[in-house]
Amino acid sequence: MPTVRLIGAEQAPLLARPFYANGDPGPIVASLAQVPELLDVAIPFIGTALGPSSISWRAKELVIVRTSALLECRYCVQTHTAVALDAGLSREEILALRGEAPIDSVFRDPRELALLGWVDAVANGRGAIPGHTTDAIHGLWDDHEVVELTMLVGATMMLNRFATALQLPVAEDTVHRLTEEDLL
Amino acid sequence: MSAIAEAVADGKLPGRVWMYADYHCNLACTYCLTESAPKSPHRVIGRERMLEIADEAAELGFTDLGVTGGEPFLLRWLPETLASMSERLPVLVLTNGTLFTRRLLASLAPLAHRDVAMQISLDRPDPDDNDEMRGKENFRKVVEAVPRLVDQGIEVRIATTVESIEDSELDRLCALHRELGIPDEDHIIRPIVRRGRAIDHDLGVVAQQIDVPAELTVTVDGAFWSPFGPTVHDGVVDTDLLITRTTRPLSTPANALLRLVGERPEGSDVSLNIR
Repeated sequence: MPTVRLIGAEQAPLLARPFYANGDPGPIVASLAQVPELLDVAIPFIGTALGPSSISWRAKELVIVRTSALLECRYCVQTHTAVALDAGLSREEILALRGEAPIDSVFRDPRELALLGWVDAVANGRGAIPGHTTDAIHGLWDDHEVVELTMLVGATMMLNRFATALQLPVAEDTVHRLTEEDLL
Repeated sequence: MSAIAEAVADGKLPGRVWMYADYHCNLACTYCLTESAPKSPHRVIGRERMLEIADEAAELGFTDLGVTGGEPFLLRWLPETLASMSERLPVLVLTNGTLFTRRLLASLAPLAHRDVAMQISLDRPDPDDNDEMRGKENFRKVVEAVPRLVDQGIEVRIATTVESIEDSELDRLCALHRELGIPDEDHIIRPIVRRGRAIDHDLGVVAQQIDVPAELTVTVDGAFWSPFGPTVHDGVVDTDLLITRTTRPLSTPANALLRLVGERPEGSDVSLNIR
């Protein structure tokens, strides 16, 4: 049961209506619609941060699933497990990102390992990022990629806490799919 | 000139800014948009905030102010506040007209010959028919109050809110408002809008964004597209015509409204004559 009322299409505020144009926009939009001026800027930002960009879809889902697992956000882990499957990640990779298997037993690519080290340091750490983690990512990712990936971690953390605090419900079809894939 | 002032001057944006003074009322009309009643949550916007809105509206380039509720005159400080607001912009205040005792009439002295007009509801020329939807003694109180207000130098308009009215009944109603000192140009007739309590009584016309003028309306719950926006059903404020929760500074909802108006076909708010 969500903590706040999720606004349906019939009560969608004026600035929120475009987000309902293609049907149920999901609980993040339906909750943010309570404050239309926030929705109006937050969703384009979230879309830009989490959506298609110069970074590969696979890399972005590595970041999102890993960050969400570190922050123990059930909504984001389950929702993005389904998205990660669509992006081509294997069941084993997803389980490792979720902390259900050792990362280095599944991931071998140095670039991805540097990225996951970066995600762990940014999302799970406090204070400065350790020098060896910074060196590792700098050697394998360009500056603009580091900026975008770091912002992606931050945006995901924001959503993790938002979805967890408001107890947003996972879509039924996602739950059904994860049950079938034994990934719930 | 601000973008708002320009849009108002060009007629692209209505010039009036509305504010909901409160949500409670001494009446409980069957078609009330806000389910107002004596025991409704008051949700008073406050004297200081009303004056702030008046200042901000004038600075942005709006040309008029409107005050509605609930019943605004349940707020004892209202007359002086209206007088102060009228120093910035002309004010129209909507009232059921049933609270104008000698004492309240005396407190209205500061409003005499100022830019403050009162719009009073009177739906039918016969007491029983009028009071059926608006409550006992409503007709008597209104027909007593109107000439007294006029005598005090206060501009009064009559608003008739009906599903339909026959010509003969309308003729008698117009004869009555003329007798009370209200000319034809100060009598408006509008439909019941199917929101709030009107839904429960199966009354009124369905009105959407496209059917109502884009008059910026400020309440304690946020800023809305029109005074027909912040309606209440089953105790919950409707959000379908909500613009922003932010109302301070007023430029935030005003600019959002301007953006929304730009997305709407010109002249699309005239079909239902909702004013």
